Amino acid sequence: MNDNQENILTVNGLSVNYGKFQAVQNVSFNVLKGEIFGLLGPNGAGKTSTLSALEGLLKPQSGSIVIDGYDAGEKPLYARASLGVQLQSTSFQPELFVVEVLELYAGIYGLTLTRNEILAILREISLEDQAFKKFGQLSGGQQQRVSLVIATIHNPKLVLLDEPTTGLDPQSRRQLWERIEAIREKGHAVLLTTHSMEEAESVCDRIAIIDHGRVIAVDTPQALIDKHRTDPEVISVSRRGKITLEDVFIALTGKTVRA
Amino acid sequence: MDTVIPKTSTVLAALLRADFTTQWRNRRSVILTLVVPVIILISWKGLVAIKGGAFALSNSITIGLIATGLMGYTNAIARDRDKGIFQRLRVAPVPTWTIMASRICVQLVMIILVTTAVFIAGNEYDKITLTPSGYAFTYFTAIIGGLVYLSLGQMVAGLITNPETVNSTTRLVYFVFIMVGMFGELGILGVQVHDMEHWSPYGTVKTILAGSMEPGKWTNDTSIALLLTGLYAAIFAAIGIQRFKWNSNK
Repeated sequence: MNDNQENILTVNGLSVNYGKFQAVQNVSFNVLKGEIFGLLGPNGAGKTSTLSALEGLLKPQSGSIVIDGYDAGEKPLYARASLGVQLQSTSFQPELFVVEVLELYAGIYGLTLTRNEILAILREISLEDQAFKKFGQLSGGQQQRVSLVIATIHNPKLVLLDEPTTGLDPQSRRQLWERIEAIREKGHAVLLTTHSMEEAESVCDRIAIIDHGRVIAVDTPQALIDKHRTDPEVISVSRRGKITLEDVFIALTGKTVRA
Repeated sequence: MDTVIPKTSTVLAALLRADFTTQWRNRRSVILTLVVPVIILISWKGLVAIKGGAFALSNSITIGLIATGLMGYTNAIARDRDKGIFQRLRVAPVPTWTIMASRICVQLVMIILVTTAVFIAGNEYDKITLTPSGYAFTYFTAIIGGLVYLSLGQMVAGLITNPETVNSTTRLVYFVFIMVGMFGELGILGVQVHDMEHWSPYGTVKTILAGSMEPGKWTNDTSIALLLTGLYAAIFAAIGIQRFKWNSNK
């Protein structure tokens, strides 16, 4: 099915507008099979808009999105079936128990799982004892685990995670990184958005730095550091002598605080 | 392995199970929706002898249908949109119409329940009975009437995105419909209001319900009311669907 055996996702010339505002401008990148790819950018840079276009929630003004060989514009259902998604602020029906939420999403991805199979999935993420609680009654870390398990319940080829560690304590964040690694080990590719340089360096194989709706750099974190190590702007923002990914990021995107 | 799209029937079954569970967990509001028209029917006991059983039953069912369509459906979709529940469903490989179809199915069951509750109360307290064809026909027109209020609710949720504003708007419209509908129908608010009410979404639904309870007394007036009911539903639904946004933030 795949027209390119290496790429699980190919984004080419993507533009997304909100009225006259261009949130994403001519963005191109690709995600390889089994890769963890990070979209890094300040607030309002266009990360979530890019992800929303991939998920089919926003209609792009121009450009193409190919997911596992399926053009998202021509075959949206096939493209979406190849995706697992964790939105930035995930919410499920507040009246449903966790086990019922999993049953719902198993069903809408065409899986017929028994109640015991669902409970076994919850056991794997140490949440079996929370099965009959409502999603809103779980802690932030527990909610993230449930969201992640739902995103991967149908064994998707590409998992999209929109700022997955926002609001988590260090322990939960580390645990989530391990789970993201585990997703990759199962053969899935992961595309995540983040503000966190630590996350980008620890988890991502490659990153794209996006600002003002444009991709301004794509490479491995270390290669980006090496490439910009001698830039005067990078040296001027460096705080402790050692050049970090954050120094490169600040130099490329500017010091101005974004809303 | 090729990507597999889930069958629409499987998707709908999962959505229906979740939506019916959600409705069941909101039992208090369901009971309220059923109780209000029954209380109105019981309080109108004296009017049954004067205006007839069809008058009392049709008004009570109409009030129940308004509560179901305007209060239940509209507030639920406004809340779920605001919480991002629809967005999460939409990123799955499901046709978007299935998300709303499932919600509407739940409301259609509510319409049947409201109608049945009023029939039972009418029989128990006012000894109002209909012919079997009268009962069957009334269930049918109750669904048509219910669609008017569901589409009106869809229009409210389409034009207004803030869930609190949706809630207050539906309460206001519900109150106006009940007051102008009930008292306008009785002529208390004058001839002009009576005529206006008669051809309003309240009046036309009430007229077709009353007409279907006594099919032998179906008149041209009832036929025009049926046409207008369909027209109201089509207009409200067209605006509601066209203007509806799945995300309250954009």
